[in-house]
Amino acid sequence: MQAAPATPANTATLVDSPWRRVWQVLRRDRLAMGGLCVLVALTVVALLGKAATEWIVLFDPATVRLVDKFRPPLSQASALLPVRDLPPGGIYLLGTDALGRDVFARMLQGSFVSMSIGLVAVSISVVVGVVLGGIAGYYADVRLGPVTVDALIMRFTDAMLCIPVFFLILVVVALLPASIYNIMIVIGLTRWMGIARFVRAEFLSLREQDFVVAAHALGLPAPRIIFLHMMPNAVAPVLVTATIGVATAILTESALSFLGFGVQPPFATWGNILADGKNFIFDAPWLFFIPGCAIFAIVLAFNLLGEGMREAFNPKLQRR
Amino acid sequence: MGQYLLRNLLQRLVLLVIVSFLVHALVHLAPGEPAEVDPNNPRFKPEDVAKIRAAFHLDEPLHVQYGLWIRDLASGELRSFKDGQPVLPKIWDRFLNSLPLFVCATLIVWTLSFPTGIHAAIRRGSTYDRSTTFIAYALISIPGFFLSYLAILWVVNTFGVPVIGMHTFGNEDAPRWFRGMDRLWHLVVPSLMLAVGGVAILSRYVRTQMLEVIGQDYVRTARAKGLDENTVIYSHALRNALLPFVTMFGLMLPELVSGAVIIEQIFAWPGIGRLSFDAILARDYPVVLTVTLIAAMVTLAGTFLSDILYAVVDPRIRLS
Amino acid sequence: MRIKQLLTVTPIVLVGLLVQAYFWVPTYEDQTAGAAQRLSKFIEASIGDAKLLNPALHADASSMKIVDKVFDTLLDFDEQLQLRGRLATRWQLTEKAYLTVLPGAALARGVVDDAAGLRAVIRSGIDSGLIEMPPGLLAGIEVLPARTLSIPAGDTGSVEVSVNAPARLQFDLRRVEQRFFERLRPVLGTDYAQQADYEAWHARVDEPLREPLLATLRERFPVFEHNPEIGFELRRGVRFHDGHAFDAGDVKFTYEAIMNPRNLSPRTADFEPIKTIEVLGPHRLRVVYKRLFSTAVNVWTAMGILPEHLLSDTVLAREMEERELGTAARDGFGMRDSRFNRNPVGTGPFRFVAWRSDELVHLRRNEQYWDGAPHYQDYFFRIIPDTLTREVEFRTGAADSYNPEPYQVARYRNDPRYRVYSSPSTGYTYIGYNNRRALFRDPRVRRALGMAINVDEIIRYVLHGEGERITGPYPKTTHFYPQDLAPLAYDPDAALRLLQEAGWLRNADGWLEKDGKIFEFNLITNNGNDKRRHILSIAQDAWKRIGVKCNTEVFEWAVFLEDFINPGDFDAVVLGWLLDINADQYQLWHSSQATPKKLNFVGYVNPRADALIEEIRLEYDTQKQIALTRELHRVVADDQPYTFLFAPRKNEVLDPKIVMVTADGGIEPLRADRRGELYFFFSRWRKLAHAPDF
Repeated sequence: MQAAPATPANTATLVDSPWRRVWQVLRRDRLAMGGLCVLVALTVVALLGKAATEWIVLFDPATVRLVDKFRPPLSQASALLPVRDLPPGGIYLLGTDALGRDVFARMLQGSFVSMSIGLVAVSISVVVGVVLGGIAGYYADVRLGPVTVDALIMRFTDAMLCIPVFFLILVVVALLPASIYNIMIVIGLTRWMGIARFVRAEFLSLREQDFVVAAHALGLPAPRIIFLHMMPNAVAPVLVTATIGVATAILTESALSFLGFGVQPPFATWGNILADGKNFIFDAPWLFFIPGCAIFAIVLAFNLLGEGMREAFNPKLQRR
Repeated sequence: MGQYLLRNLLQRLVLLVIVSFLVHALVHLAPGEPAEVDPNNPRFKPEDVAKIRAAFHLDEPLHVQYGLWIRDLASGELRSFKDGQPVLPKIWDRFLNSLPLFVCATLIVWTLSFPTGIHAAIRRGSTYDRSTTFIAYALISIPGFFLSYLAILWVVNTFGVPVIGMHTFGNEDAPRWFRGMDRLWHLVVPSLMLAVGGVAILSRYVRTQMLEVIGQDYVRTARAKGLDENTVIYSHALRNALLPFVTMFGLMLPELVSGAVIIEQIFAWPGIGRLSFDAILARDYPVVLTVTLIAAMVTLAGTFLSDILYAVVDPRIRLS
Repeated sequence: MRIKQLLTVTPIVLVGLLVQAYFWVPTYEDQTAGAAQRLSKFIEASIGDAKLLNPALHADASSMKIVDKVFDTLLDFDEQLQLRGRLATRWQLTEKAYLTVLPGAALARGVVDDAAGLRAVIRSGIDSGLIEMPPGLLAGIEVLPARTLSIPAGDTGSVEVSVNAPARLQFDLRRVEQRFFERLRPVLGTDYAQQADYEAWHARVDEPLREPLLATLRERFPVFEHNPEIGFELRRGVRFHDGHAFDAGDVKFTYEAIMNPRNLSPRTADFEPIKTIEVLGPHRLRVVYKRLFSTAVNVWTAMGILPEHLLSDTVLAREMEERELGTAARDGFGMRDSRFNRNPVGTGPFRFVAWRSDELVHLRRNEQYWDGAPHYQDYFFRIIPDTLTREVEFRTGAADSYNPEPYQVARYRNDPRYRVYSSPSTGYTYIGYNNRRALFRDPRVRRALGMAINVDEIIRYVLHGEGERITGPYPKTTHFYPQDLAPLAYDPDAALRLLQEAGWLRNADGWLEKDGKIFEFNLITNNGNDKRRHILSIAQDAWKRIGVKCNTEVFEWAVFLEDFINPGDFDAVVLGWLLDINADQYQLWHSSQATPKKLNFVGYVNPRADALIEEIRLEYDTQKQIALTRELHRVVADDQPYTFLFAPRKNEVLDPKIVMVTADGGIEPLRADRRGELYFFFSRWRKLAHAPDF
C-alpha cells in the first residue's frame, strides 16, 4: 500500500518528527486508514474518469440513447443502436438513466467534478480563513481608526457565523447563475470562519513564544515570520478541518442539487445524478442508489480520515 | 458581572447591524428580480412588471432600500413582494408550524446523544465504541434527503400509512385523540431526519468531553475513594463535562433552520424552511432578508444565553 | 444512580411515545379509520401554493383552480366547447355603426349636404336595392347632432383645443356586421373617408402640436366606426356566499376593478377593447366595444364576478382604517392589499373556508348554489412540493388526486388500485429560434433543425407516450387547428440537404461551416422543468449528429426572463405555452409584438401572418374565422419560427372509488370535456366506499 499522504513522506527523513509520530498513530487507526484507501482509490478513479470521458472519450456521458432508457446495471445495449452510440463492450455497467445515457460514464465524469468541487471549495475557505485569521492574530493590536484589526476581522467572522450557512449558500446560489465555479466559490466563501478563528487563536498564543519573539528581534520580515515560523505550527488543525470540510462541501453540493440549484448540465456531479435519480426510484432504483452510495462512501471516507487525523494530532488523547 | 453582560450585549447588537448590512447587500447585488409573473401566462404585460417594480421601491439606490427595509421592519409594515402580506406575522405563523418539529428534533438529539456518548466513553475502544463511532460518521455522511427518502419509502411500503405533511387530511371530524396522535405520528419521521446529524455530532462530542473529564485527577480521586463506578461517572464526571454543552445549544439553532429547508421541502411541512425557500425562489426579498436576520438574531440570543449561563456557572469568567 | 436511569429511560419513553402514534393513522385501504366523513372530502395534491384568490388579479395556475370553484363567470364553454350561460342567462351580439357626416364630401352620385340629407340618400339606396342590405339587419338610422368639445392637444394635455365634431349617423344593427360600410359603398363612393378634413374642425394650432392633434382626432372621430355590443340578461336570485344578492352592478364593478390602473390586473389587455358597460337594470346590462373584436365575448368565460359590496372604494377605505396601517401602507392601499384576496367571496359552487399558506386551501360546498350543490362536501387543495412524496402521499390515500409525471403514469396504468385519466391539453412545448439572428433568419435552416429532432422518440421515451405531435400555434383540441396538416418529418439527411442549400457544408471536423464560421449557438431553458431539460440534452445530441454545435444552459426563471427573453438576447430556447381557447393570437405572432419584453420574443415577422391575425380579430362569422385560423396555422407552420414539438397530455390519477353521478342518480365513470378538462364535471363527482365495476 503506497497510500502514504504526501506530507509525512516529505518529512519522513526527519528523525522522530511530529509528523512521523502522527503517521504512526494514524496507521493504527483502521477506520481512518480505510477512509484513506477509499480516497486514494476514488482519486485514481476520478482522474481516470476525467481521462476516459474528456481526453480520450472512451465513454461519452452525453450520448442520448432513448431506445435504451432505464436499462438496469450490467445489461446489454439494444441491437437497434448505431455502432457509434454503443457503450464500450456493449454493456451498461451501471445501467442507463431516463435519456439512455450511460450511468457509468456519468458517474466517472461526475467523480472528477464532485471531487474538484470539494477540493476547490475547501482550498478557497482555507486560504480565506488562514489569511484573515493570520492577519487578525498577527496584527491583533494594530489600530485602524477606533477599532483594532483583530476586532474588525473577528466581528466580521462572528457576523458570518450567525447566519445559517446553508441558508446563506442557498440565497447566493439562487441569485447567481448556477455555474460550477459559482458553487465552488460560494461554498468556499461561507465555510472559512472556523479556520479563521483557530488560526487567530493559534497566532495569538504563538506571538508570545520565544522563537517568534526571537525572529522579531532579528528583524525578519513579517511574511517570513508568518509563513515559515508560525504557520507550520497551525497546520495540523487546518488540515483536519480541511479534510472534514471536503466532506461537507460534497454534501452541500448534493443538497443544492436536490433543491435544483446544483451544478447544471453539461457537468454531471454525483449530487445532480442523485437529485435526478430520486424521481425514478420506483422505475430505476439504481439511479438513486448508485450515486447515493457513492456520495456516502466518499463523504464517510473524508470524515473518517479527518477524525483519525484529529485524534492523531491530539497529544492529550495520546497519553492514555 | 452586569458590566460584562452589558458589554457582551452591545457587542452582539453591533454584530446584528453588521449582519443586516451583509445580508441586505448580498441579496440586492445579485441579479434577478421578483418573479410575480406566471411562466405560462401570455397575457401578463411588461408594463405591469414596471408598475410592480415601482411599487416595491426596486428602482431606488441600495442604501435607500436598506433604510426603507429597516424602517418598514421596525414599524411592522414590511410586506412580502409575493402576496403583499405583512412579513412578520407571516414568519411567526410559519415558525409556529416549525416549532413542534424543532422541539421534537431537539428532544431526540439531547436524549439520545447522552446515553450513547457516555457509554462509548466508558468503554473506549470496545466494539460498542467503535461501532457507534462508525455509525455516527455514517449518519453525518449520508446526504440528508437520500436518507429521508429511504425512510419514507420504507415506512410507506412497510406500514402503508401517510407520513407527509403535518397531519392526515380529511379527519377533521375524527375524535380529538385520533387527531392528536395523527399529528404526533406525522412528527416522527421528519423530526428524526432533522435530528440525525445532531445525534451523531452531539454523541461524539459527549464522548470526547467525557474522555477528557474521566482522565482528570478529581475523577481518579473519586474512584480511589472507592465510590462505585456509576456514581463516579454520572455524578462527578458528567456534571463537570456538562458545562461546554451549554454552548452547543445556541450553536445548534442555525443548523436546525438550515436543515429545515430540505426536510420541510420533502415532507411538505409548511414551516419556516419552506417559507424561506419559496421566498428565495420568488426573489421575495423582504421575506428572505427578514428570515435571515431573525435566524441571526436567534443565534446571537442563543450564544448570549449560553454566555450568561457560563458566567453563572463558572466564576472564572466573572473575574476576567 | 438516578441520573443513569433517567438518561436511559427518557429516550426509550420518547421513542415509544412517537412510535405508538402509528396505530392511530388511517391507511389507503382503510381511509375512513377514525374519520367516517373522509368519503365526502376531496383532497387534491398540488405542486405549488396559490398566490392570490381574486379573479381580477391572480396570474398563476394554482390560484386559478381555487378561483374557478369559488367564483362564477357570466358564460363558459360547455362540454362541446359551445358558449353556455352561467351568471348570464341570455346574451346577444348587436352593433351600433357610426358614420361621420362630411358636409360637402363627394358621394358616388352628388354631394353630402347635411346629416338628414345623407340619411335620406342611404335610405333610398337601400330601398332601391342599390345597397344590398340583408333583411332584418338594420333596425334604424338616427342622426346624432354636431358637437363642440375641447380635447387636450398633444401628450401633456396642458393645452386644450376646441373641436367642432360634425354630426354622425348612427345605424342600429341587430347583429355585428363587419362589412357594413362596404355595403354602403355604392352610395358613399370609394373615397368617402379620404375626404375628411380634420384640420377644418378646429382652430389652428402651432406646429409641434399639429401632428399629434390630428392623430388624436383621427383616432377619436373615425369616419367609420363599429361599436359591437353584447346585451346580457343576468340570472335572478343568485346570491354571494355571504348572502348578498348578485346583480348587474357587480359585473360592471368587476370590469372597473380590472381596468383600474392601481390594481395592476394582469387581465387589463383582455378588457381594453370595452368602451363602456351600461347597467340597464338589476339584471340587464350592455357591454359596448370600441371596435370590431370578434373574440371579445371569450373574456367573459374566464372572468369570475367580484362582489362590489365587499371591494368597493368605500369598503376598502373602511378596511384600511380598521387595520390601522401606517402611512406607507395607506399610501398605496388598493384591492391588491385587501383581506379579500385571502378570504374570497363569490357565487360559485364552493365557498371559501381557510387558507394556510404552503399547506392547504379549504373550500366547502355552497348549499344554495343555483345550479345545484356539488356532491362533495369539502374540497382540500394540498400543497406537496416534492414529486416523489406527492406520489407517496397519494398511494397512502392521503390525497385523492394529483397530476402524475409521465413516467409515473405508466406505472399507474398497470395498477388496478388506481385509475389514470388522460386528456389532450391546450398547451404545447417548442424550441423557439431567435428569428432576428442571422443564423436563424433562413426558414430552411429552422426547418432543417426541426427535422433533425426525432419528436416521436421524445414523445415515446421522454413523455412515455403522454403527448401528441403538433404542427403549429393552435391547440389541437380546437376547431382552429387544421387536422390534415402533417407534422414535420424526422429526416436528418433531408435536414442536411436543406442546410446545404442554405450554404452550410460540413468541414473537416464534421461541423457545418459557412463563410469560415461553424454553426454554433446556445440553447437555453428555465430551471425546474425536467422535460425541458431533457429536451435540451436530446436536441443537443440530435444536432451534434448533423454537425450543428449547440451549447446548453439552464437558468433560474427570474434570470432567464430578465436577461434573455425580455431583451430578446438569446439564440434558441426550449419553452412552452399554455393557451386558452381563443382564435386571437395577436400577442404571440403579430410583428408589432416582436419588440423587447413582448411575447413575440422570437421576433417572428411575416406580413401575411400579420394580415391574417388582424382579419381574425375582425371576423365575426365563426366558420370564416376558423378558415382564417387554419390558414394562419399553416403560414406559421411553413415558416417554422419555432420547432413545434408536442402537446403534452394532461394526466390525473385518481382513486377508482371516485365516480360521476348522472342526472337520474346513477353512476358513470369520470370523463373530461372536449378540451380535456376533467374537473369540468367536478360538481357531480362523489366517492364511494368501494370501487364500482364499469
